[in-house]
Amino acid sequence: MALLPILYLSFAGIVIGYCLARLPGKWTYLSALVPAGLFLAFLSHLGTTASGQVITDAVNWVPSLGVELSLRLDGFAMLFALLITGIGALVTLYATAYFAESPPTQRARFVTLIMVFMTAMLGTVLSDNLIVMFVFWEATSLTSFLLIGFEATKTEARRAALQSLFVTGGGGLALFGAILLIGMQMGTFSLSEVTARASELTQSPHIGAIIALILLGAFTKSAQFPFHFWLPQAMAAPTPASAYLHSATMVKLGIYLLARFDSVFVDVPAFGITLVIFGTLTMAIAALNAIRATGYKSVLAQSTVASLGILVMLIGMGGPIASVAVTGFILSHALYKAALFFCAGTVIHATHIPELRKLGGLARFLPLTATAAILASLSMAGLPPFLGFTAKEYLFEAQLESSWNMFPVIVAVIVNGVMVAVAAAVSLRPFFRGKGKISRVHHGETAAMLAGPLLLGTLGIVLGALPDMTAQSIILPAAVALHGASIALTFSLWHGVTPMLLLSVTVVALGVALTWKWEAFHRKVNASLLVQHLDANRIYYRCLNGLLGLARRCTHTLQNGDQHRYTLIVCTTLLATAAYAMLRSGGVLTLSWSGGAVLPVPAIVLALGVVGAIVAARARSLVTALLGVGVFGYGSALLFLLNGAPDLALTQFAVETLVLVVLMAILVRLPTAAPPTRSTRERRVDVVVSAAFALLAFIGLASMTAQPFDTRLSDFYGATSYLQAFGQNVVNVIIVDYRALDTLGEIAVVGFATLAVWAMLRRRSTAKGN
Amino acid sequence: MPSIIFSAMARVFFWLMLVVSVLILLRGHNQPGGGFVGGLVGAMAIGVLALADGVARARARLRAHPITLIGIGVLLAIASGLPGLFGDQGFLQHQWLVFDNGFKLGTTMIFDLGVYLVVLGGMLALIFRLYEEAP
Repeated sequence: MALLPILYLSFAGIVIGYCLARLPGKWTYLSALVPAGLFLAFLSHLGTTASGQVITDAVNWVPSLGVELSLRLDGFAMLFALLITGIGALVTLYATAYFAESPPTQRARFVTLIMVFMTAMLGTVLSDNLIVMFVFWEATSLTSFLLIGFEATKTEARRAALQSLFVTGGGGLALFGAILLIGMQMGTFSLSEVTARASELTQSPHIGAIIALILLGAFTKSAQFPFHFWLPQAMAAPTPASAYLHSATMVKLGIYLLARFDSVFVDVPAFGITLVIFGTLTMAIAALNAIRATGYKSVLAQSTVASLGILVMLIGMGGPIASVAVTGFILSHALYKAALFFCAGTVIHATHIPELRKLGGLARFLPLTATAAILASLSMAGLPPFLGFTAKEYLFEAQLESSWNMFPVIVAVIVNGVMVAVAAAVSLRPFFRGKGKISRVHHGETAAMLAGPLLLGTLGIVLGALPDMTAQSIILPAAVALHGASIALTFSLWHGVTPMLLLSVTVVALGVALTWKWEAFHRKVNASLLVQHLDANRIYYRCLNGLLGLARRCTHTLQNGDQHRYTLIVCTTLLATAAYAMLRSGGVLTLSWSGGAVLPVPAIVLALGVVGAIVAARARSLVTALLGVGVFGYGSALLFLLNGAPDLALTQFAVETLVLVVLMAILVRLPTAAPPTRSTRERRVDVVVSAAFALLAFIGLASMTAQPFDTRLSDFYGATSYLQAFGQNVVNVIIVDYRALDTLGEIAVVGFATLAVWAMLRRRSTAKGN
Repeated sequence: MPSIIFSAMARVFFWLMLVVSVLILLRGHNQPGGGFVGGLVGAMAIGVLALADGVARARARLRAHPITLIGIGVLLAIASGLPGLFGDQGFLQHQWLVFDNGFKLGTTMIFDLGVYLVVLGGMLALIFRLYEEAP
């Protein structure tokens, strides 16, 4: 199947998945067939990408902007596509069992969001056009927001959802800036063309800004320092979503982007250096936080952040071995981390306890889940013959081969040691240690909830035990796609006694020691005041609350509820702007004083309007003032009518009448005579400002009429209105046809503004009723 | 206080203004009028009922909730632009059916109806809310 049909099928899958997930009983498992089918479709292309070929497919989307829906499947995209659809299928299956007791609508909503997310992910990794990629990229941020806030009744979930949206959405905007700059520089949005003409881009004067913006986009998405705080908070999402979005796929998009641009910026040393520094920092901080964390899911989340840091560091190192290490690590991490999240979900589902230290002895109730957890954590600890072992060997080899000093290696050894300890903590502690802590479980394990973790855990050992097959079909093609040239490597589990093996042994020894003293470390790190003060999440909320406070103060100053002040602010701002413009232009005004003969009828109407205005300004009684305003309004409507603008006049009459009707409803509840609230000094200011404003309006009108009237626009409308738009009333034709998009925007604004006012009025009336 | 005279007159005015508002809407493309003014007059027609017989009666006469009308209106305006997308034209490029006797029917009518409903619903939402609160 070609690429575009696969993507269309994925779109259709959103609706199909929704319908299937609503089916009763075991039939809902059918919804997993959608991602499974897509997985098979991608798998059928595996031979093509493994031989180094690239599959492309394209259709014009917005030709006027040069945006083409062009898809490109190379080895690296294939790795992601398989992970997205494969784990997607298992997540869907798992989720239908996880939500088995929830109402069908809730289950269907979750499955639909997962399908939307899967489509967005596929679109991101398949698009060759940067604009299209950005659209899908933002869609993943939005679905992540919806999934984190899935249990919308919980404050914590809402707050975490908003935080992730602020961070990843803000980073997305930065990425958009980078894409636009690239487009301006290169004249194309095609990623493969940009890669091919990389030297042109690196000579751009904006290269610094482009790199900084891309780094912002990638670091926010992949939770790198200093944005590493949102991912652990995102654990408020239901566990199937955490397994899918926040460990296996979405958070790796930043890695995906950096890996894609690594070959573009290969001549910019600062790019690689920044990646190594921030990656190393991130993994060090995340390892520390993993020791601090107490929740089952948050320990896993911190270790995910550490893994992402390792990946960023590896991309920064560059070179063929690093490419192999990146792709191998992405694969092995996705497999074992998703499996561990599945196990965490089963445990929390069964016990309703999210805290790791309160769990224990669960192997008795959930034996197969315990098996899966052990399999996955052995891969995570990097023991042979698991896939994690091979990945870690290449990680160390890439580090030792690079021109970097020993510092990243030392950090990586420590971080990997912590990972071993985390692997032990999440598999041994809840299942085998602390027997008797849990006496009964709410749910047992079901087949659908076991399929995911068992399959992924087994894959970790199968793929690890067959290193050559795994490397030739998936890892090497992906690494070659990144590196851009063929890589000659032989794959086997046993390399002899190499420095890498010695480092691995050190890591395991360190991990065992850490596991031994886990409690002591946990207490010590948590007690440290420095760590508490540098907690990024706390800093984030301090900044956010500061910003909200500033906004509140601005609102209090500008919108204090006093209509006089609003009018004063508006009028003085207008006056100041006009005065500034006049000073800038030299103060030369051409005024036309020859208005012609005074016509009697308009003069009378005008005089009536002036009387109405004076009454409105002087009257003590609100009703009288309202009538005065009404007289003035009808007077101006009459003037419109006399000057040949019947449409405007008709509208003005209708508006005036309705304003009277609406205001009357408010006035009947107010005292008929308003007590004087304004001091003499305030009234003097009012007089000065309103006189100045009237003068401004007069000068403006007089200078406008002094200019010769440009009739080109009205001539155009007059000439084409009937012929092209079949309407004789030019005003209406402009509204509904020529400028229809403006009108659409306006009625939407009218609609939403009314909705807001309506909601505010409602709250007041119910409050009164109570 | 309910006034029999006002109430009786309101019924006459209601129908009168409603018919006028529809006329204004329909003639808009060639003569002064259109969805916006039509919607305002329509809101007045039901507003008069609300003044005379109370908001409950006016709501019953309207049947649909004013906020629903706003939503339908915006959707109609968007929908009127969709036919233009087929046949390689732009969004909101209006399409016309020209009959042999010179009568023309265009998607502008749907668009204007959308404007009419948004204005009608918006004004009535406020009027109903404010008069309900009145003592």
